[in-house]
Amino acid sequence: MKIMVAVKQVAALDEDFAIRSDGRDVDADFFIRDLNEWDDFSLEEAVKIKEAAAEPVEVVAVSVGADEVDESLRKCLAKGADRAIRVWDAAIEGSDSVAIARILAAVAQREAPQMLFAGVQSSDQSFASTGIATAAFLGWPHAAVVTSLSLAPGAKSAVFRRELEGGLLHEVEIQCPAVLTIQLGINTPRYASLRSIKQAAGKPIEVLSLADVGLNAADVGEAGSLSRVRRMYVPDKGRAQLIDGDAAQQAARLADIIREFKGAQT
Amino acid sequence: MRLFYVLGYAALAVFGYGVYVQIRKYRRGAALKLEGGFWTRLGAMLSSVLSGRTVDRRDPAAGGAHRLIFYGFMLLFAGTATITLEYDILEPLFGIRFWYGTFYLVFSLVLDVAGAALIAGLLFMMYRRGWMRLPKLDYARPDRQPGDPDFDRPQYRREDWAFLWMLLIIAATGYVLEAARLVWLQDRADVWDTRWWSPVGALLAEAMRAAGLSAHGGGLLRHGLWWFHGLIALILIALIPSTKVKHIFTAAASLMVRDPLAAQRLPRIPESVAQAGAAKITDFNWKQLLNLDACTKCGRCHEACPARAVGAPLSPRDVILSLREFAHATLESGVIPDAAELDVHGKAPGQVSMETLWSCRTCMACVEICPVAVEHVPIIVQMRRKLVEDGAMDPLLTKTLQTIHKTGNSFGESKRKRGAWSKPLPFPVKDARKEPVDVLWFVGDYASFDPRNQKVSQIFASLLNEAGVDFGILYDGESNAGNDVRRVGEEGLYEVLATANMNALASAKFNSVVTTDPHSFNTIRNEYPDFGGKYEIQHYTTLVKRLFAEKRLQVTRPLKYRVTFHDPCHLGRFNKGYDAPRDLLALLGCELVEMGRCKANSFCCGAGGGRIWVPDPVGAEKPAQNRMKEAAAIAGLEVYVVSCPKDLTMFEDALKTTGNEGKFVVKELIELIREAIPAPRAEAVPA
Repeated sequence: MKIMVAVKQVAALDEDFAIRSDGRDVDADFFIRDLNEWDDFSLEEAVKIKEAAAEPVEVVAVSVGADEVDESLRKCLAKGADRAIRVWDAAIEGSDSVAIARILAAVAQREAPQMLFAGVQSSDQSFASTGIATAAFLGWPHAAVVTSLSLAPGAKSAVFRRELEGGLLHEVEIQCPAVLTIQLGINTPRYASLRSIKQAAGKPIEVLSLADVGLNAADVGEAGSLSRVRRMYVPDKGRAQLIDGDAAQQAARLADIIREFKGAQT
Repeated sequence: MRLFYVLGYAALAVFGYGVYVQIRKYRRGAALKLEGGFWTRLGAMLSSVLSGRTVDRRDPAAGGAHRLIFYGFMLLFAGTATITLEYDILEPLFGIRFWYGTFYLVFSLVLDVAGAALIAGLLFMMYRRGWMRLPKLDYARPDRQPGDPDFDRPQYRREDWAFLWMLLIIAATGYVLEAARLVWLQDRADVWDTRWWSPVGALLAEAMRAAGLSAHGGGLLRHGLWWFHGLIALILIALIPSTKVKHIFTAAASLMVRDPLAAQRLPRIPESVAQAGAAKITDFNWKQLLNLDACTKCGRCHEACPARAVGAPLSPRDVILSLREFAHATLESGVIPDAAELDVHGKAPGQVSMETLWSCRTCMACVEICPVAVEHVPIIVQMRRKLVEDGAMDPLLTKTLQTIHKTGNSFGESKRKRGAWSKPLPFPVKDARKEPVDVLWFVGDYASFDPRNQKVSQIFASLLNEAGVDFGILYDGESNAGNDVRRVGEEGLYEVLATANMNALASAKFNSVVTTDPHSFNTIRNEYPDFGGKYEIQHYTTLVKRLFAEKRLQVTRPLKYRVTFHDPCHLGRFNKGYDAPRDLLALLGCELVEMGRCKANSFCCGAGGGRIWVPDPVGAEKPAQNRMKEAAAIAGLEVYVVSCPKDLTMFEDALKTTGNEGKFVVKELIELIREAIPAPRAEAVPA
């Protein structure tokens, strides 16, 4: 059995940062890169299934990105993924989540896994759409925000649970192959020691081009995207105001403000 | 007589086989190449063993009694051995005899006194075990529950007593034999007239005669008792390799292979080794397996351990004894069991649990006090390395390690902000990467990011500035030094941090390094050299002392405080920096009152070994609180002085939680120096 785990290297921001000159993203110099937190959980879920299985299970971590993504893929390999695949081409720059999903779907067709995991969302962009869009391209059944999963290797279906509003649990059976987006807290991700990451350097990271996965430049980047970032900016601050004066004056001003917000009431 | 020789050879054969089994056990451990020359090691060992000074420490009565037993036993053994030499070898083969005349008489006297010493020592040890009720001799384990098969190990107690009784019986029957011989041969003038050369034997002989023992009766008694005495002695010899008696050899060998930097400089993982840390008993090296057998259960480490003192499930003694039992059960038979049965991690008898391993603060109190050079800390850290590989640790610790990897500091702050504490200063602090400096100050995480410690850093920078020291820092080039990361057992991350710092240091021009952080001090001084980074480094107390000596700093307002000083583990015990801080306190005019546990016996604040990143169990006493209570007992104490950023954090907290706030204060020595040398106005740090 094979499980494919789609992972993303996300960017966290340093405290001081600057917006890129085109105004559409943060300057990459200020990125602190790391594996997306949700992906720690989806990878762990796959590795747990592998470790519990009597028959061999292969876990393949797949990501879309330039060389720096190898660092995150090595972390996946250190944590128990058997192989890693990275797809990159300069044309991919500027892709939205749907274009990325098109690439992941192409890889999934090539790998033919029984199950594809993705994180519910990425911590930097938070579209929460890549996993589900991948399922759409593949035409596979899918479910989002999975909080518990039971999957027997080789089985034709899997059973999972989702948390709904009002404290309800949703238990669902789904046909394989399927795409599940995994929620935080489904398990306890293991620690990848620096030595294990270093040793994972020996495991293969396969780098694929667009042609390798049967796509061309028009399928990705801005050309293949359905949305486009117009600008990224820090909103103006200034809704807070400091109230001066002694306690009585401050209280009176505060009362005025509250009345103002309450609106006219008789 | 022939029968006795048969028995004697049998005993020697059992002894020889036992020695073979033990040596085979040690050889099943991993390889290790010792540093240093054989003769130096031998000299150091003999000096410890013959002086008995390691046994004296913190228990001079036991040390004295041990010395009586040691010398008594050695002399009697040597005496018996020379008799054997003459009787069985030299005389029958070469006709040489020396066992007569003055030599004989003097030797009789010496052996008689030796026997008395041995018996006196043994009787004291019996009194000590039976009546003194010393907590350190209680074998109950803090990491096991009553009812567990290895909870209080009564077999150890039985063995202790059997050992004492056996030696006592051998010594006592020796005297009776001597006396019976005198009674038996009372008509032979050469024997009887010189009897007072064996004063104890002679007294006993007189008593026997007075009690009506005839010469014939003496002869019979001697013959019967001779067998009894001889058999017990032979049994003792045969049992040496399999009982605590073997410490005669294992303790001496352990002292001989002692590493004086065992806890200060942890072992590297060789490039050729894929697995990190100790998972199986055979992952320990032969020296560590020997260490396990050297332990005499004296309990000094048990007593000194701060984790044990606050009820954590760890006693260094029991880690050692557990592993010893484990090695005994698995490595002494002809074939080594399967790998699965060699796993030392877990809760079964002989195994060590992760709760135990994570309780350790690597403060080195155990290693420092061990009279037989058992090196607990590297053993514990090597086991932790395996836990780290498996991710078997507190989630908060996992988070901290990830944070350190990502940002280079344990606070999760941006690298760029590392030097931000220096911004409010009225003078610029040089960036040692951009311009050459005389002294490079390695600041460390706590002094850089913790708001309370930042104030101390600012004061120290001002003091250096006023003293005209040409200094600089590495700003965002500096990372966590890695001392505690290494002691957690995250060796890979340690290598990353050490390499990053060595690269940053290589990019700077400086003559020497100073640090306000004892943890950084230790790893840069003792461990970076293993990775190729050799620097002249000192703790700030040494530098400031020199600045006073050179009159570059002068006390203008002597302080009259009654203070006590807490030796940080990594400055004191680890690097013997006991004097500089005390000299400084004297220079400042403070009256220093020592706590009971000071200098080598200083009591860890609880922050070491990465424990500052893991909260202590709620409700249980923390080591820092235990320490605060000790300090609070000093009448009229005004200032509890520390010289380590982590100590400042730990003890200011403990001061509050033990209800001592308002009674005395916790201050960094740097702050007291500032008080004694008020800053010139322009130099004052803006609040």
